[in-house]
Amino acid sequence: MSKGRRQKSEGRNQKSGARSQHTGKTTGRASGSKIRQSTADPELQTPNFVPTIDTEIAGVHFQNPVLTASGTFGYGKEFAHLIDLNRLGGIVVKGISAEPMSGNPSPRIYETEAGMLNAIGLQNVGARRFLEEKLPFLRTLKTRTIVNVFGYSTEDYVRTIEILNEGEGIDAYELNISCPNTRCGGMVYGNDPKLTEEVVGASKRTARRPLFVKLSPNVTDITALARAAESAGADALSLVNTFVGMAIDIERREPRISNLTAGLSGPAIKPVALRMVFQTARAVKIPVIGIGGIQTAEDALEYIIAGAKAVQVGTANFYAPGTSLNVIVGIEEYCRRKQSHLYELVGSLRIPDALGADS
Amino acid sequence: MSRMYDEVVTVVENRPLTGGHFLLSVHSPRQARATRPGQFAMVRLPGGLDTLLRRPMSIYDLKAAVARTSVGGAKSRVAGHRPALQRQRAPEIIQLLYKIVGKGTRQMAGLRPGDRLEMLAPLGHGFFPEDYLAEARADDEVLHVAGGIGIAALLLAARELAGQGIPQRLFFGGRTKEDLVGVEDFKPYVRATVLATEDGSRGHCGFVTQPLEEYLLRNRNKKFLFMVCGPWLMLEATVKLAQKYRHRCLVSMENRMGCAIGVCLGCSIRVQGTGHGAYERVCTEGPVFWAEKVVWGKERMSRVRGI
Ligand SMILES: Cc1cc2nc3c(=O)[nH]c(=O)nc-3n(C[C@H](O)[C@H](O)[C@H](O)COP(=O)(O)OP(=O)(O)OC[C@H]3O[C@@H](n4cnc5c(N)ncnc54)[C@H](O)[C@@H]3O)c2cc1C
Ligand SMILES: Cc1cc2nc3c(=O)[nH]c(=O)nc-3n(C[C@H](O)[C@H](O)[C@H](O)COP(=O)(O)O)c2cc1C
Ligand code: FES
Repeated sequence: MSKGRRQKSEGRNQKSGARSQHTGKTTGRASGSKIRQSTADPELQTPNFVPTIDTEIAGVHFQNPVLTASGTFGYGKEFAHLIDLNRLGGIVVKGISAEPMSGNPSPRIYETEAGMLNAIGLQNVGARRFLEEKLPFLRTLKTRTIVNVFGYSTEDYVRTIEILNEGEGIDAYELNISCPNTRCGGMVYGNDPKLTEEVVGASKRTARRPLFVKLSPNVTDITALARAAESAGADALSLVNTFVGMAIDIERREPRISNLTAGLSGPAIKPVALRMVFQTARAVKIPVIGIGGIQTAEDALEYIIAGAKAVQVGTANFYAPGTSLNVIVGIEEYCRRKQSHLYELVGSLRIPDALGADS
Repeated sequence: MSRMYDEVVTVVENRPLTGGHFLLSVHSPRQARATRPGQFAMVRLPGGLDTLLRRPMSIYDLKAAVARTSVGGAKSRVAGHRPALQRQRAPEIIQLLYKIVGKGTRQMAGLRPGDRLEMLAPLGHGFFPEDYLAEARADDEVLHVAGGIGIAALLLAARELAGQGIPQRLFFGGRTKEDLVGVEDFKPYVRATVLATEDGSRGHCGFVTQPLEEYLLRNRNKKFLFMVCGPWLMLEATVKLAQKYRHRCLVSMENRMGCAIGVCLGCSIRVQGTGHGAYERVCTEGPVFWAEKVVWGKERMSRVRGI
């Protein structure tokens, strides 16, 4: 099954044009001029220009740069009635741990201004049931499957990856390091460069597939964590995960979420997430995937121009299930209008010279 | 599971009722045809300005396409209401009965005929006859117990049961008489309606569980099946009564929802079970559960747990 799928997708790649992949990293300033200058004048556009919007991350080829974010798209099948899953670049499935987990008490979510808080508690079916019950369906899709992995100790991560290594049809792992390490007094992995290196290093040694590391934004300097993950062997970085937040019911003087604190996601976080993606893309050599508050193609393009080779759509899947497909269409239209291939846009931000030296 | 559709639907009518309640009718043939009793919809105004997530609303009623939609009072009821006719013409109109309680419902109240609404429906496991019909046939009566806007979850089930010739009775409580909307719509399907208001403005003065318990006491030799929807405390009190008098009880639960299609796990409630099985999703396994499946009280107590 998995074999057939791969052949299918290879055939497709050839059709979409056998150009060489853009693998090198573009620095913010230099690449702005790479966009064809004709774009300002519609009469100068090549009428038959067909932009390519595929992308490649750590050897994994994506038919377009739009993925769905972990925890917001279940195991894919839930959306089968709502959108054509085969058109997505990739699906990042709900975080998986070695053992099934039950999660936090209700209330787990709360809507805030242009965003939502969640403290789901990483409820999931466990790695074995994922392989048996969820993966076979994902294998039938042309879309890439990325499995999000979490744990509460480095051994947890390693054990989960060992189990997942047995599964067929997984294209990459995405390590969620926004979890407290219960062995180290609850210190969150992703908030500490040493812990990050430890868990990424151990996972990389175990993983038989490319390893994306998903960074927590709840840090002072995201680039320090990004470099730690890179030096420990991460093949790509996904950012960001949710921001720790809180809301209070003033009538009852109780927290709105049973867990007290919760992760903020949605449009509200976009400017901060975008800034972090921009800084990170300049600080590391490995590819960066932009996540946070994406609702439209314009949002996604901001991330791409800031340096992301792909993006993930999260919370928007809840209130507008068609978002990811609309984003793909919109990116394609933009590329046509700008007479640019996607790879030419990545990190193409034009920065005034006076500011260019540093972010 | 029935198939769901994500559509932009057109408002046919948005009729104000008493006490900040509205009856919204939208034209949506595919969703209407797919709807089964006790299911719900997720709705949002396009480009929703200050609401992000869609709002869950029970599908109150379905109507064949008629220019003038009905409901709310006996006078305006059209033929589509009668079970026999309902089956002849496929429904095209979905009706939501809602109450203004916050931002989203306040926006909904401003909807006018011709306005557009994003709607995902039908959703969830509702009052599906295959779960209880055999039992209902063996029982003496089905007792619908509604608290406030909870009434909205029950009408389609009542019609279905009436079509099967099963005797029914409605117990309906609210804070004031203004909350007792839709009573007339149940009239064709139930033998009797017992009303209660906390301020005594209509029916029994107090909680609806009081006349309900009196009824159970008077009929100790009878077997009932409960169908309940309302606020948490009212659900809990009703379930206690059902258990005390040994009647089976189906409850339609509420919880905040993110996606309503089972992916965010935001709506999960504690159920009997351990480990991964300790939680079930109101949007997918529910909203209708057998009462004994739900762990009552516990979640409220563990509201504040620390990190
Ligand atoms: C399965 C189901 C069916 C429902 N059916 C109906 C119905 O037929 N008619 C009706 O009037 N109401 C119904 N409700 C409750 C309705 O969803 C809320 O009243 C509504 O979401 C409030 O939105 P708001 O923006 O006006 O309030 P706000 O208080 O501004 O909402 C803030 C957030 O809390 C959530 N929320 C608030 N109250 C509730 C609640 N009681 N249940 C779930 N989420 C809530 C909202 O969805 C939103 O995410 C139903 C709820 C569920 C779960
Ligand atoms: C309900 C919910 C559950 C999530 N679960 C996970 C998860 O299991 N693993 C993970 O790495 N990120 C998880 N996330 C974070 C998202 O993948 C994403 O990083 C974040 O929501 C920011 O993107 P957005 O603003 O587009 O939603 C979750 C987010 C939400 C809202
Ligand atoms: S609302 Fe998302 S799982 Fe139920």
